[in-house]
Amino acid sequence: MLAVKNLQAGYDCLQVLWDVSLAVEEGEFVALIGSNGAGKTTTLRAVAGLIKPAAGEIFFLGRNISGLPAHLISRLGLSFITEDLNLFEAMTVRENLLLGAYSQRDDRKVHTSLDFILNLFPILLERRNQLAGTLSGGERRMLALGRGMMGTPRLLMVDEPSLGLAPKMVMAVFEALKVLHGQGVTILLVEQNVNNTLHLADKAYVLEHGRIVLQGASAALLEDPYLKETYLGRR
Amino acid sequence: MDLSIIQNLLVTGLLRGGLYALMSVGLALVFGVMNICHFAHGEYYVIGAYVAYFAYALFGLNPILAILVAAAASFLAGAITEKLLFYPLRKFNKGEWVMNAFLLTAGLSTVLQSIFRLSFGMKYMGIIQYWDATVSIFGMNIAVDRVVAFGIALVAIGGLWLFLRRTRTGRAIRAVSQDERGAQLAGIDLNWIQTLTFALGSMLAGLGGASLLSLSPAYPFAGNKPLIASWFVVTIAGLGNVEGAIVGGLLVGVFESVSYYLLGQGWQDVASLVLLILLLLFKPAGLFGTRVKSVWE
Amino acid sequence: MTTSEPAIPPRFRPIVWLRARLDNLGFSLPFLACVLILALSPLVVREAYLRRLLVTSLYFGILAMVFDFTGGFINAVNFGFAGFVGLGAYIAAILTFYFGINPWLAMLAALVASGLVGFLTGLLTLPLRGIYVSLMSWFVGMTLGALTSAWEKVTRGARGIIVPPLFESVTILHHFYILLGMLLALYVILRLIIRSRVGLAFRAIGQNYEVARASGVNPIKYKLINFTLSCAVAGMIGGYYAYFVGIVTPDLLDLGHTMEVMALSFIGGSGSLIGGVFAAFLFIPVFDSLKRLMQYRLLIYGLSLILIMIFYPAGLNGLYQKIKSVFKLPKRKKQ
Repeated sequence: MLAVKNLQAGYDCLQVLWDVSLAVEEGEFVALIGSNGAGKTTTLRAVAGLIKPAAGEIFFLGRNISGLPAHLISRLGLSFITEDLNLFEAMTVRENLLLGAYSQRDDRKVHTSLDFILNLFPILLERRNQLAGTLSGGERRMLALGRGMMGTPRLLMVDEPSLGLAPKMVMAVFEALKVLHGQGVTILLVEQNVNNTLHLADKAYVLEHGRIVLQGASAALLEDPYLKETYLGRR
Repeated sequence: MDLSIIQNLLVTGLLRGGLYALMSVGLALVFGVMNICHFAHGEYYVIGAYVAYFAYALFGLNPILAILVAAAASFLAGAITEKLLFYPLRKFNKGEWVMNAFLLTAGLSTVLQSIFRLSFGMKYMGIIQYWDATVSIFGMNIAVDRVVAFGIALVAIGGLWLFLRRTRTGRAIRAVSQDERGAQLAGIDLNWIQTLTFALGSMLAGLGGASLLSLSPAYPFAGNKPLIASWFVVTIAGLGNVEGAIVGGLLVGVFESVSYYLLGQGWQDVASLVLLILLLLFKPAGLFGTRVKSVWE
Repeated sequence: MTTSEPAIPPRFRPIVWLRARLDNLGFSLPFLACVLILALSPLVVREAYLRRLLVTSLYFGILAMVFDFTGGFINAVNFGFAGFVGLGAYIAAILTFYFGINPWLAMLAALVASGLVGFLTGLLTLPLRGIYVSLMSWFVGMTLGALTSAWEKVTRGARGIIVPPLFESVTILHHFYILLGMLLALYVILRLIIRSRVGLAFRAIGQNYEVARASGVNPIKYKLINFTLSCAVAGMIGGYYAYFVGIVTPDLLDLGHTMEVMALSFIGGSGSLIGGVFAAFLFIPVFDSLKRLMQYRLLIYGLSLILIMIFYPAGLNGLYQKIKSVFKLPKRKKQ
């Protein structure tokens, strides 16, 4: 579904990605892990169209999307939940969700999605008329997730959803991702929390200094000595 | 103070304030969504005035139709300006956006005023009135023109409000003003929204110019006063705050009415300046707070 | 180990030293050449009318430079600039016309007056976002304009105040060299300020407010110094204008004049200080020689400003830097 080939990208004068190649098949739960500054967010941004790749190609559903503007990529069915969430603070939960389905013209389908998401995340149902800016950290994450799901995307990319959350909320977020995956959503997850992530994902890519250094099925990676030592802190 | 005087001041103040609100809402919208300090806003008022003049006085269109044509013309003018100037600015000049955009509008204002002057000369192109009638409000005789202008302002503002609150595109506009990246990722085409917003703002200004034609004739520098007034309102109400601009416009209208009555023309300007100074001292974010990133650097 | 430059033969050393000193003051060789040409131009340009053009260009050039001192360095566009210039002009005119005060003293008073108003305006708005400075200075300029029109008793309204000349038997040539001297002096002073610690603070603030503040720079203080200074000097130049033109009228404070200076400053290159002077010498004589263009003056300024903003924000100065880098010869390192 998503194929990234030899991606090079960066910001202004700073190149961050040197050679990133990864693939996500339909229905998979793929993780992109690495430490701070490895380039995980940059990768997602390049795929989502927020930054232009310097080199390499990105294919989504068979189409070459490298260089397309972000809003068009979003309309193709690629949803990106950023680390900052980019919520519309002065709008209600409901309005935020409705905007998630912006590209959907059919009003009925929009409301079907809305009902579905509100059911999936009861917190959101409860706070649907509350301003997004007044929600707590975990609730905002849920809203961002819900909003990202409103357009019934083919691929959901999530950037560090557990960052800054209390452990209980972290579990809730991962639960939500699991549920979504169970519903058939393809997910590309970027995380620093390697242990939890590997237990959730089917396969993973490890990014270091802008390059993929390790990849494979999660189960295999969990046994990999390099990974264990570097990211799990055990021999 | 005599009750009838208060009524008088209130009514004239509100009538004037309605038009201020109309102009200011357009300005607040452009600032809130596009982060542009629009100094050419008055010129779109003038475009509306000129078009309405030609439509009504030269082509003999019915007043309402003339005003609508003027509104459409200003909408178009705004859209063209945005595509011609701000779109390239976004593409080519990634630097200090606020400053550069502001300077661009300053240049634009000069250019448009020169174009008006060179095309139509320094003549005042006005009409005596659209409707030869007065209406009685609270025992005062008020020209129908004024009342209709106020009515148009109300309808336009109300329409805009509904548009922003209830429609998908209106919601998209609000989204862009709050978080551009979030809007992009939701599939919203930023360029299109920005063109639309600027066109809307210009249309509102043009409506003002067209409906007030009998009171304020069209001539090249006719945009200066509306520009000053709308910036005054927007600063007092809070930069980028659209709802605040509505209330602020009405308040400023009444304020000016009262201070004009009490102090006379010359000192009324001083009173406005004093008000502005007091506001910046105590409530720089405006009476209703700004909707833009922050007031402090 | 440093690769050593070939040793400079003794007879060249003073020249190299001089060049380095001049470079520090902002006078590169090409620039010095321009100054020389300008200084000697009255020998070639004989007609009073053409000389007047030179003086006008100098006048606008100085104003553009002063404008750039704020616009280009602390990112504050003084939208009421003409008001401060006009205030200075009126103060000087009033003092000399009513009280017979010596022009140079009057100009000093103008400097103080405009500086004071600038200080107050800046005090109120510099802690806020840049747009507030522009807004407030715009309103202040407007109010000053309204005041000069309305306060007829003092300003004689639209009739204006006739101002006696700077001194007996003053000629255009005097004005030319006085203004040239002012230009150079101001350039050196402003440049020294920019290069000093104070100037470093300006640029730090202009570039990144938060970081500047975090590194202990008190942004407000420096912005205020900058803004006050620029308004003060604007007032002084306005005062000079009064003696040069001989009459001060309210339209001096019109927004259009601010636009002219602003356009010249940005076309010349924001932050270059001297770019505006070149722009002035480019635009003003051209406008004058093509008489028909005078009508279109503001239109062309506006268009130029727009085009510069979109396509070439670095302005004339940027162009110059580009040309310099193309022709770059391996330079000797500064001693």
